[in-house]
Amino acid sequence: MNAGIVPAALISLLYTLLIFMIAWRAHQRKETGRSIIANPYAYSLSIAVYCTSWTFYGSVGKAATTGIDFLMIYLGPSLMAFSWFFVLRRIVKISKENNITSIADFISLRYGKSLGLGALVTLIAILGIMPYIALQIKAASTSFYLIGGFREKGIHLGGVTLSAGLLLSLILSVFSVVFGARRLMSSERHEGLMAAVAFESLVKLASLIGVGLFVTYQLFDGFSDIFTRFRHTYPEQFTRLFTLGGAGNDPEYIPPFSMLFMSMGAIMLLPRQFHVMVIENSDERHITKAMWLFPVYMFLISLFVMPIALGGLLTTGSATGADFFVISIPLVTGHDGIAMLAFLGGLSAAAGMVMVESVAISTMLLNHIFMPVIVRFTPQAWFPYLLINLKRLGIFLVIFMGYFYYRIVGDSFMLVNMGMISFSAASQFLPAMLGGLYWQRGNRTGAVTGTLLGFLIWFYTLLLPSFSNSRWVGDLLASGPFGIALLKPTALFGLSGMDLWSHSLFWSMLFNMGGYIICSIMFRQDEAEHDQLRKFTGMIDLTRGYRHAETKRLSKPVTITQFINLMSKFIGPEEARQAIFSYIGEREIDAEGNVSEFELPNLKRFTEKTLAGSVGAAAAGAIVDSFLSDMGSRMESVYDIFSNVRTSLDQSREALFVRLKASEIINRTLDLQIIMDDLLNLLLKEFKLDAAIIQLRSENGGLEVRSYQGVNRRPINPNHWFMESRPYFDMALLDRKAHFVNDTRLIADTVALDRTIAEGIISCAHIPIVREGESSIGLMSVFSKSIAGLFTEEFLGLLSSLAGQLAQAVTIVREMEAGERERIQKEQAQLQHARVLRDMEIAQQIQLSLLPESAPELFGVEMGGRCVSAAHVGGDYYDFFQYDDHSVDLVIADVSGHSVGAALIMSEVRTLLRAQANSALTASSILRNLNNQLYEDLTRSELFITMFYAKYNSATGRLSYANAGHNNPLIKRGGVPSCINLDAEGLIIGVKKSVVFEERGIELHKGDVVLFYTDGLNEAANAQGELFGTERICEHLGSVMHQPVAEILDSFYHAIADFTGSDTLQDDISLMVLKIH
Amino acid sequence: MPKHLRQRLLHRLQLPESWIIFFIMGIIMMNFPFLHIFNKPVTIFGFPLMFLYFIIGWPVSILVIYLFTLAVRHSDDRQQGNNQP
Repeated sequence: MNAGIVPAALISLLYTLLIFMIAWRAHQRKETGRSIIANPYAYSLSIAVYCTSWTFYGSVGKAATTGIDFLMIYLGPSLMAFSWFFVLRRIVKISKENNITSIADFISLRYGKSLGLGALVTLIAILGIMPYIALQIKAASTSFYLIGGFREKGIHLGGVTLSAGLLLSLILSVFSVVFGARRLMSSERHEGLMAAVAFESLVKLASLIGVGLFVTYQLFDGFSDIFTRFRHTYPEQFTRLFTLGGAGNDPEYIPPFSMLFMSMGAIMLLPRQFHVMVIENSDERHITKAMWLFPVYMFLISLFVMPIALGGLLTTGSATGADFFVISIPLVTGHDGIAMLAFLGGLSAAAGMVMVESVAISTMLLNHIFMPVIVRFTPQAWFPYLLINLKRLGIFLVIFMGYFYYRIVGDSFMLVNMGMISFSAASQFLPAMLGGLYWQRGNRTGAVTGTLLGFLIWFYTLLLPSFSNSRWVGDLLASGPFGIALLKPTALFGLSGMDLWSHSLFWSMLFNMGGYIICSIMFRQDEAEHDQLRKFTGMIDLTRGYRHAETKRLSKPVTITQFINLMSKFIGPEEARQAIFSYIGEREIDAEGNVSEFELPNLKRFTEKTLAGSVGAAAAGAIVDSFLSDMGSRMESVYDIFSNVRTSLDQSREALFVRLKASEIINRTLDLQIIMDDLLNLLLKEFKLDAAIIQLRSENGGLEVRSYQGVNRRPINPNHWFMESRPYFDMALLDRKAHFVNDTRLIADTVALDRTIAEGIISCAHIPIVREGESSIGLMSVFSKSIAGLFTEEFLGLLSSLAGQLAQAVTIVREMEAGERERIQKEQAQLQHARVLRDMEIAQQIQLSLLPESAPELFGVEMGGRCVSAAHVGGDYYDFFQYDDHSVDLVIADVSGHSVGAALIMSEVRTLLRAQANSALTASSILRNLNNQLYEDLTRSELFITMFYAKYNSATGRLSYANAGHNNPLIKRGGVPSCINLDAEGLIIGVKKSVVFEERGIELHKGDVVLFYTDGLNEAANAQGELFGTERICEHLGSVMHQPVAEILDSFYHAIADFTGSDTLQDDISLMVLKIH
Repeated sequence: MPKHLRQRLLHRLQLPESWIIFFIMGIIMMNFPFLHIFNKPVTIFGFPLMFLYFIIGWPVSILVIYLFTLAVRHSDDRQQGNNQP
């Protein structure tokens, strides 16, 4: 009749070992990165942890007593699978982003990381799940007694009576600790555990189908055979079992709708379901497949329930012990193998559920009951050990609470109806959960009120009556508290005639939803809740990767190291370092190893999220907040400079308005002063700043205040409060980045800003005026007296962009000014040049007018002279002085240089010569006088003169002459090939004070042509550098000596032009010709 | 044109409204008064009517969900196709 205790224990042990190995293997595989359960099939199987020993044993029992309505428990989840694509995926996405660890964590996070709500949900879960775990222990131990052939409850081992339930509880606890609480990171997936659960799901499915096939096709002849035989044997019962509501008079009958409703809620809300579906989900895409795989599993596992139930009734003849038909039918018919298979399936179903449930609830227990207490203490290095052991303790606690409930309530309920107590408890999460996901107004007050009311009513109307075998509870049930019948737990407010479960469900849901909705409408959400709202209800933002603009700042900066220290106290130093490194990644860190002030809130959030993975969001928030307050820092709202209206993601309407205004100001005028003043006034007006200053680099490179607007204006001098910010100016100019102080009081230790603080300045920013890629040309400084933390990344961005525009304007104006200046200089230079040119022309004209207009006429002599100067004014001079009809003086001179000075000296020479020319002085004495008179002037002007002076008397034909270093004139005499050189000793005038000049003379004959010339003639050079020379002069003179004097003169200039190949002369050339007729 | 029809069907199934309609239909079909239709102690080919209703209706509902998931994959594929022209 029975399989015996030893094989049952042995097989149980072997089976446990197998599960253990599978779990271990999966864990190892995960460590090496080759997960065996990260696939939709394993995921679907793990969701099937929904099917516990309740399904395995209880469904048959239910089917045998109340009939086909048991299916509702499985149709509900199957129907719910429709919604997974929206609801479950959304929950998973949110949970992954926030390191959610449990359903309590999820709900408390939605309502502003509420510690109270988390604790409440945890409490409901612990109490609510108690009957459920009791059910498993009851089922497993009863099946053990059945298969072992025991009638009394207890195993005797050497005089010690050991309850199978206790033993089972211990084994399951150890197993759960090993695979569910290895690490503290609860948001981490437990692959070993999941592999075990998935395998157990397979075993229980195979086992139940096996038993089903055995009953249907071995004991009977298929489905219709069972139905037909049953109909013939028990026609009344047949009608009752295959119609709904047929068992309405049964006190344990639960209407189909209540079951459907509760099971639909339970599939999502039971802590273990949330755990396997959300926390243990490795890939969102698995959900889509699980949506139909899981219902298929449910369908298969319930397919044979009805035949087994009917077969059991037919075989045993009664519905007593219907809960264990799955085992008892094979036992009764003598198929021990099948019975053992059924036993294993039932054990699997129970074990899987208890392990997952205990792990899920112990996590909640740790994070929401223990943690809020622990965070009140200063974090210690041994905290990680404490926490993990608390979690392990939680697992034992949860399982043993179930065990004790089983011992107390024991056999007074059918399995399914015990389970329904838990389902009903889980339903209490529904309003807060669904409302949290889809209703923007749902708030913490509502969630707490609703959940608390629902919980109290559930406790009073369902959990309490379940202890009906206690006398005190029995009295209460019979007559209500203090004899008030209206408050009877089973007929609250006089609502009688309903079954226990529907009655409780109705009242608890009414108060729960009512409380939630009314309080949510009546009260406002606080800020912490509001922050979470977008994560939960703003799914569009979430999926499109909306970058959350930080609206909070830390009032006092905290370093990365401090965050690491905090985290290592909760998750261990190694994990903390790894987490931080993964966070920092490509982010910018400054020289001291800190992130920028704007990054700090993100770092804080990251720390919270990381901690949340271990201790839950609510506790993590509390830990970080208390840590910050210890540091003297806190989160404060950023003054939203752009008010609340945001037209796009990063540009507010106000910012756009200011940009527009600024570019109007800049483009309106070219007056830099007006631009700067208006721009600063715009900033002061729009952003409630108190002072604003623009400094520009002056030409010597120093900064110069160019515009100063706002309050506290006083002349800028080195003692001005503004000058205290000098280090910031230098930094900003140097690195071309904005530098700012968001709270002057905090940095008073490092930078001396005493006078600035005394002025009441709380925050300030210094923005370099710089064009992209160029060096800075100035600095814009703004100061606020009222708002700390004014300078957000966004605001500084705007200011920098305005400074950039200003830089552009300054550069343009400066370039224009420089261009203007250059143009004026050029014009003036041209004007000057023209004036000089004109002066020179005048000088030339004067000079030319000083030369004789025509040569005097003397009988028997023909004379002529010409001067062509190279520059406008020259130093050449020639002249004729005629005394009487036969005497004439000829003089030719060359003042060195071509300057106006030379021309002036020349005119002086002329004056002096004219004064003495008509005297009877000799040529040499004239030169000597001239030298004496001119010496001082010439020395002073560093000039000198060469001069040839000749006196000719036509009566005697004698030419007497003296030479002061001048070129010797040439005489060409007919018939003589060479020229006579008129040579006389004499020094250049202006070299020495008193000089003696040699006086010489020569008889001129008829036909002689005398040529006086300046050095321009013989020194004229051609392109080859060859000089014209006296040879060529003489030769040329010989060729033209018979021509009239004017033509001789002309021919020389032509010859020079031919020789040099150029029309312009290199030097002045003056010529005089004396021709004797 | 079965292919065309299939495309059309899958396209319709992508609409969130379709999901909601089927979900509500499921709830209606598993509640009174709808259940009254089958709530009779009658057998067809030896099978009780209610049992038959669930045993056939349930797989049909699973098939519908399966079609939905096909439609989702269909649209995912199409989106990916659009992303990589």
